[in-house]
Amino acid sequence: MFKKILIANRGEIAIRVIRACRDMGIRSVSVFSEADRNSLHVLLSDEAYPIGPAPSNESYLNVDKILSVAKRAGADAIHPGYGFLSENPNFVRRVEEEGLTFIGPKPESMEVMGDKISAKEQMKKSGVPIVPGSDGAIETVEELKKVANEVGFPLLIKASSGGGGKGMRYVAEESQLESNYNMARSEAKKFFASDDVYIERFVQAPKHIEIQIFGDSHGNTIHLFERECSMQRRHQKVLEECPSPALDEESRRKMGEVAVKAARSINYLGAGTIEFIFDSITKEFFFMEMNTRLQVEHPVTEMCTGVDLVQEQIRVAAGLPLSVKQEDLKLNGHAIEARICAEDPATFAPSPGLIRRCRNPQGSFIRLDSSAFPGYEVPIYYDPMVAKLIVWGRNRDEAIQRMDRALAEFSLTGIKTNIVLHKSLIHEEAFRSGEYTTQFIDNDFSGSSDNLFKFVDDRVFLISLAVEAYKNLKPKSTADHNIYSRWKDIGRQEGQR
Amino acid sequence: MFFEAELRGIKYRINVNETPSSWKVTLQANGERPELHVISKEDYKELDGAISFLFEGDSYMVDVVGNGISYTVYTRGSYRDIPIYNDEMLLHESLKAGDSLGGPNQLAAGMPGKIVKIMVEEGQRLKQDQPILIMEAMKMENEIRAPREIVVDQIKVAIDDNVETGSVMVTFKH
Repeated sequence: MFKKILIANRGEIAIRVIRACRDMGIRSVSVFSEADRNSLHVLLSDEAYPIGPAPSNESYLNVDKILSVAKRAGADAIHPGYGFLSENPNFVRRVEEEGLTFIGPKPESMEVMGDKISAKEQMKKSGVPIVPGSDGAIETVEELKKVANEVGFPLLIKASSGGGGKGMRYVAEESQLESNYNMARSEAKKFFASDDVYIERFVQAPKHIEIQIFGDSHGNTIHLFERECSMQRRHQKVLEECPSPALDEESRRKMGEVAVKAARSINYLGAGTIEFIFDSITKEFFFMEMNTRLQVEHPVTEMCTGVDLVQEQIRVAAGLPLSVKQEDLKLNGHAIEARICAEDPATFAPSPGLIRRCRNPQGSFIRLDSSAFPGYEVPIYYDPMVAKLIVWGRNRDEAIQRMDRALAEFSLTGIKTNIVLHKSLIHEEAFRSGEYTTQFIDNDFSGSSDNLFKFVDDRVFLISLAVEAYKNLKPKSTADHNIYSRWKDIGRQEGQR
Repeated sequence: MFFEAELRGIKYRINVNETPSSWKVTLQANGERPELHVISKEDYKELDGAISFLFEGDSYMVDVVGNGISYTVYTRGSYRDIPIYNDEMLLHESLKAGDSLGGPNQLAAGMPGKIVKIMVEEGQRLKQDQPILIMEAMKMENEIRAPREIVVDQIKVAIDDNVETGSVMVTFKH
């Protein structure tokens, strides 16, 4: 087993890996940019070394610097977390050239799955369903009819060189096929100077459902069931859950088997995720992409399977077999994760800055993976996610109720966070019923301030503010010795920033 | 002491009086009937750098942050941005207006970032909320919109420019 692991990342995921190292008796080495000297991963790891200026490409993406720190610290393995260098095959090769172990898949797997086209070809070869469509441009009406019947309805006609919805047509049934084909071609001609169009099945009420897979170097490949990540805004996941409320046992079994088959076909090593788009009407699922790394939302899987995925990653990288077998795994209860971000919940604009107070949710069946603490300044240079709040319940209703409770306990001040967005979302009927799709937030959710800010009486804010303003302005002679107002301090702090 | 504040488009007149044992706060929304709250100082206490406020039986930890006339008040995972002022505060503000960030006739960057798109031209008349430019900060693209109906005077940034907090990006005229 490794003696010392360098974590080439920051924030909550670096902390997550540090914890797995401690649980296994391995020393942890963190690295930090100039913006992160006071970040929690630096404070929690056994060792910490600077790697350069704040911008990522000069620090967390600086391969030479990270490798030189790894050698200097005497680390024998590198965990990349997610993001940054985690899916960079050249980094993996450099790590291996230095005689160190990369905790993750082989670079060849990253290359195959990193490219959307080669990934789809690979999956097709391995018998993984991909969204049915024509292989290339459709030249004639005869060809159109033939291919359309193979693809199935409803379908989309899309311009080969198109984008932004131009030259795109929705066709519900065969009778509308020919007229839409002709219109799509003439639109395509007009906008893109080419009338090439192709067809693709339209996935109805789409859900994002992904399967966690894991392979070791002893020929074992398993899946750890699914995660539902349909609650997204502009393709960014917001809330995730395990299991998916949309899957029955049959679909779950099928998707798991397909995912394992896909992983086996590329001799996948370590933790990976196969993302599917799921048609809620037909229950069909199609390959979207594979992430060759640990996912942000991995804790929901951990909560329901009892398997520590990061420890498994480390075991597998060290050449040990997986500690669990497929037949031993079962889903226990329900877990939900809320991504807590430093952002304005109404506009989604980032809200970096100084965290003044931080009261973390605690108590039964709650897990918080957080990098936030009072006095920590959320830097502008990186992802705005500051914490992941994960709750577990024996069933989905219990988990939702517990998430509501945990969000009510959670208080972060000084920066704006999306805590109120999560509170709103879990009360939405579409979420309660489990029928929400990937389009819910973008199309159907009224993220109006009335909706987001209904939870606390406005008068509480107004009265507190007025009393504090009074204390700030009142003549010093009547100052109350017992009451220490931070009003002026705050003004000064703010003025300096 | 008298204040005016604004929240969710509603203007409030607020009067605060202190007695040895209580705060007497009168809230009046948009000229409606004033509402008097007598809050015992036992129910409104400084605690751990914030305020423990027991309001109508509900318990809140409140944190007030800001300067000048614009504040953010936090409690229970939520917050409100509230401008509050009275004559004395407005006087303070006008004295330091020279170095304030986004004056009424300019658009200043609220945080460091990079300009990725500019959607307006000099001399163009903008409607309220019309997009002006897109700035990238914290890996996110942020659309900056017109605060009200206004005319673009000068555009002081170009695509790919990096801007610092407080940099003036666009100036306006009426």
